[in-house]
Amino acid sequence: MRSLWLASYPKSGSTWFRILLANLGQDRPVDINRLPGDGGIASARTFFDDLMLFPSGLLTHEECERLRPLVHEVVGRGRGYVDPALTPPPRIRDTQFIKTHDAWLQTPDGVPLMGGRRAADGAILIVRDPRDVAASLAHHMGADLDTAIDFLAGETSALCGRRDFQPQQLRQRLTSWSGFNASWLDQQDLPVLVIRYEDIQRDPVEALIAALNFAGLPATPAEAEQAAGFATFETLRDQEQKQGFREAAPRGAPRAFFRRGVSGGWRDELTADQVARIEQSQLAGMLRHGYP
Amino acid sequence: MFHYRVSGLTVASELALPGLITSGASDQAPDIHIRRGAVPEALDGVTHSGPSWQLAGNRFLLRIPDVLRMLLIDGREILFEPDSGAAEGDGAIFLSGSGIGILMQQRGRVVLHASAVKVNDCAVLFCGPSGAGKSTLAVALGKLGYPSVADDFCCLTMDGAVPWLEPDGRQHKLWGQAIDALEVADRKRDPIRSSLQKYFVTALDAVEAPMPVGMIYELHAATPAQPSGIQRPRSIDGAHLVLRNAYRRALIHHFGQRQLYFDTAATLMASGRIQKFTRAMNFGDVPASLSALETHWRANGLLVGAA
Repeated sequence: MRSLWLASYPKSGSTWFRILLANLGQDRPVDINRLPGDGGIASARTFFDDLMLFPSGLLTHEECERLRPLVHEVVGRGRGYVDPALTPPPRIRDTQFIKTHDAWLQTPDGVPLMGGRRAADGAILIVRDPRDVAASLAHHMGADLDTAIDFLAGETSALCGRRDFQPQQLRQRLTSWSGFNASWLDQQDLPVLVIRYEDIQRDPVEALIAALNFAGLPATPAEAEQAAGFATFETLRDQEQKQGFREAAPRGAPRAFFRRGVSGGWRDELTADQVARIEQSQLAGMLRHGYP
Repeated sequence: MFHYRVSGLTVASELALPGLITSGASDQAPDIHIRRGAVPEALDGVTHSGPSWQLAGNRFLLRIPDVLRMLLIDGREILFEPDSGAAEGDGAIFLSGSGIGILMQQRGRVVLHASAVKVNDCAVLFCGPSGAGKSTLAVALGKLGYPSVADDFCCLTMDGAVPWLEPDGRQHKLWGQAIDALEVADRKRDPIRSSLQKYFVTALDAVEAPMPVGMIYELHAATPAQPSGIQRPRSIDGAHLVLRNAYRRALIHHFGQRQLYFDTAATLMASGRIQKFTRAMNFGDVPASLSALETHWRANGLLVGAA
């Protein structure tokens, strides 16, 4: 089995990209509540618990992270027990695409937390303008924009990092928006293809073909066009409005997952001061990824 | 030596195992012996293995890095060796949980990953993976007067068409946030590991006599796409439900026990004792969950009388 990471900072469009992949070869739009890999994020506790046979919930975040490379090596090669109640990650022929929001970091033992080359063959990194990420993140977290901007700039920011209860997933250290993307781009273990959210939006067919070429799974323009046609933002938002989306924020007041689906929405959502704070703190990454 | 009673069996342990039901010493040999000793790094004749475990015939090796290694022998004995540098007692929760739970599976028992409370004369089980809310529900039901029966695993014994459960639950295990939300700080005991904010919480009331299983619920979190409610699964789904809630489900296949779990599931399904329980996972919604359960118990004859 070959594996590619679908790596992205949260709210950067990886779910959309996963839906694009899932629609390949379909004759109608896939149900967003029956997506392949609905529980198959790299940080899911089920992979760890089912493979190690003792619960991750009895370990500290640090103890879990030292063991995660072992888990990814097994899952990445399609070995070991997988909960049959979970739909497997999107898979084309013998290549699976596993979503992750973990930055590429080393464990205290000096090995890549994601398992390095033993766990995967490459990574597709999806990058989105941090000013739009901030607005989307605030909505998803149910927090104000300033909190989201601090989170995005914080070098110790993490998902599922609380210690007074058991978070749904294993801790995912993000570092900052710039740091996250640099961690994947600058690692030496795996080849990486960067796809910008804005480019998927501009031409989803081209983005999908580029990703599949990178994965060594060439698709015809007609196949990519059909998948893109089934995964337009309007189609997804309509599906969510009619039947809800299981991956929307589970706690608190219901909030739509497919919210605006636009690029540059930050211009009417962020104050000048908020924009300046992001541009100052994330300058290196913004220059690197071409966000003026 | 410390003496306990687990799922109807006697346990003698060289290490204190908080959370288990203590019992007096007996003249008879214990059913399960837990002792300290040299545990090999690897087994000979391994037929199945994972990143942290090996299976070789009637021997099962489990390694919890930086805590301990344990060797489970033939369902009767656990040999453990703490890793150098591990705090004394840090491995206890792994021995009393994964160790004894897997040993019960090795003995050929049907072991579910579940908490349980007593409703009238029956046990009601709540199944789900770690973090599904099993203990939270058991503690909240305890406050309504339903005694605790089990907190982490439930060993079923078939007696004809009725599965029976031997109680294990004097102590719940709850995270700090849940202890505050459920207002049970007065019953909070030691942390289950010194490095975790998860604690033993003494049950208000617990039972020790075996009882028939009245209902088994698989817990689900409500999502915008899956609203709250209690549903009886279709028969094929019910069979898989029991299998996927086995304590260490990945081992069922390696232990050659699929048929055992399917047969148990068939019996439970035939009497309508398996249900899926979907509810909001917020503490604020716990009262609504309890009310839904009591309504369901009345409708199914487990509970008599008006609300």
